[in-house]
Amino acid sequence: MATVKLTNVKKVYDNKVVAVHDFNLDIADKEFIVFVGPSGCGKSTTLRMIAGLEEISDGIVEIDGEVVNDLQPKDRHIAMVFQNYALYPHLTVFENMAFSLRLKKYPQKEVYERVTKAAEILGITEYLTRKPRALSGGQRQRVAIGRAMVRDSKVFLMDEPLSNLDAKLRNQMRAEIILLRQRIDTTFIYVTHDQTEAMTLGDRIVIMKDGYIMQVGTPTEVFEMPDNLFVAEFIGAPKMNTFKTDLLYENGKYYVTPFGAKIEVDGYKGEKLAEMNVKPQEIILGVRPEHIVLAKAGGENAIKCTIEVNEMMGSEVHLHVKTESGERLIVRVPTINLSFEEREALIYGAKVYITFEGKVMHFFDKEKEHNLLIKREESTSQDEEDYSLE
Amino acid sequence: MNNNYVEKSSHAEFQRRHMGMKIKNRISNTIIYIILIVMTVIWLFPFFAILCESLRMESTGQVGYIFPHQWGFGNYIKLWTETDFPKWYGNTMLMALIVAVLQTVIVLAMSYTLSRLRFKGRKGLMNFMLVLGMFPGFLTMIVLYTVLKDMGLTGPNAVPGLILVYVASSGMGYYVSKGFFDTLPRSLDEAARVDGATRFQVFYKVILPLSKPIIIYTILVAFMAPWGDFIFAKYIARTSTAGWNVAVGLKSWIDSKTLHDTNYTMFCAGGVCVALPVTLLFMFLQKYYVEGVTGGAVKG
Repeated sequence: MATVKLTNVKKVYDNKVVAVHDFNLDIADKEFIVFVGPSGCGKSTTLRMIAGLEEISDGIVEIDGEVVNDLQPKDRHIAMVFQNYALYPHLTVFENMAFSLRLKKYPQKEVYERVTKAAEILGITEYLTRKPRALSGGQRQRVAIGRAMVRDSKVFLMDEPLSNLDAKLRNQMRAEIILLRQRIDTTFIYVTHDQTEAMTLGDRIVIMKDGYIMQVGTPTEVFEMPDNLFVAEFIGAPKMNTFKTDLLYENGKYYVTPFGAKIEVDGYKGEKLAEMNVKPQEIILGVRPEHIVLAKAGGENAIKCTIEVNEMMGSEVHLHVKTESGERLIVRVPTINLSFEEREALIYGAKVYITFEGKVMHFFDKEKEHNLLIKREESTSQDEEDYSLE
Repeated sequence: MNNNYVEKSSHAEFQRRHMGMKIKNRISNTIIYIILIVMTVIWLFPFFAILCESLRMESTGQVGYIFPHQWGFGNYIKLWTETDFPKWYGNTMLMALIVAVLQTVIVLAMSYTLSRLRFKGRKGLMNFMLVLGMFPGFLTMIVLYTVLKDMGLTGPNAVPGLILVYVASSGMGYYVSKGFFDTLPRSLDEAARVDGATRFQVFYKVILPLSKPIIIYTILVAFMAPWGDFIFAKYIARTSTAGWNVAVGLKSWIDSKTLHDTNYTMFCAGGVCVALPVTLLFMFLQKYYVEGVTGGAVKG
């Protein structure tokens, strides 16, 4: 249980490649924070700098108020779970889990108690005498988590722990990690490239790209109010539809004109645009696939499209459609309100009409790609610089 | 009925083909075995001949036949009781054991360091040693002799001098073990370090137990070099019999025609005694040459 603070942390490799730029983050005690981003965004490097496995080129890392820059991993009171498990193959599951306790010369009785308790929680008691090679992937990952659990570590680091598991097991283990978190109630830093994991696990999510932080926020915040186009497209599956369109201001109301339609930006989003005094301009409009609905032919603001791909998921269907102007969009349609005939009719080449409302729109600056509804400091903020660098 | 007929026919056809393959296999196997047996006989013959010679009692020189007319252990008894052989044997054993221990420690430490630690000049050092290793060690013989002579480690004191020579360059033989360490996942080191281990504990408690095959290999190589060395041993010890090893000692028994005639069977007995520990060492250690010790460490 501890806070973690990173101030201007930077990682430059020997070949002058900058993996992490000025990284600033305060992690609260017992918080579950998730670093998420595409490959090479610097999330694992940042985690490894916190763990002490990677040298910190610049900046300060503090754990529980103590600067740990020059401390060995063993002196940082952290526990870590690796993507590839990293179990000691010559030791039994019990000894794997007891390894750190034995190094610290814990009495035999306590070692036994701690290991058996952790094994019980993780459901691996019957495997304690086995060697890692006799375990399945999921069991190995449990042992790896158990090995980290038995110690009184201040911070629990997890580096893509579920990436090597198959989809079904991954979902199961994800739920178990949530339960585990409730049980051991400590500070977690979790690295993943999977936005679903990030959204479901994190109290807060740190979205990274090319070594920069793109946004830090709760899952709802980053989903509802993405700071920029990258976050908007990264969070959410299937990804948000984004396209260029004009933002108009007529008679005290804002309108957007996608694909020949003219949709009023009503409700909260319209008020917010007015409050921010956003000028009429060409913008990038973002609409999530689940916020687009099928419309009646000839209806108000109905946009005519042709179905290119139909992905039937059961409870919903993902339609990849093409507008008459050639723009490709994804529409996520719940199947519950469609008749069987209607569902069967959603095939390649079929014409459909779509529309969406003002309240579901996201507005991004065409050049800087930042969210027009988020107030930002004039040009001095780090984030502003980030966009210009992209 | 028709169906039955068809099935029977195809079954017979299948059997015929199967038999044909069986015969073909048997013929090719027989040929392979004959070749292997011939090669084995050729390979084992010298060993067998030396063993027979060492047990020959009717004469001491070389003869034109293999099986002794009179069998006995006389040569062995004479070897161990009436000659300097026990002294040479002791010298060699002492050198081989010390070198085996020191060299293994040095080689493993060196290889692990080069495999895991990143420091300035690492690549340069490795290349330098690679190039240096291409020159035969004998090029340094004259200089080494002079240096050792100044230190008083030649002649009768050749044993510590030779140990120094064998051990000195052992760090350069890091290639094979470094290659092995490179295959052990680095995340194992990292996991152990996070678990609270020092670098040495990582090496000692995690890496070494996983490195049995390479440790055995290093021990065997380190033991064999001084055990079978002749050139350095001869050059450093010169004429002082107290500093000789078995190779130099045994060679001295067959240096001339006269000596050859009087000592040949005993020379063979000495050869058998020299081969024995190495054979035993291989037999005991080979079971540790197991692969797949890292199974289950990381996602494969």
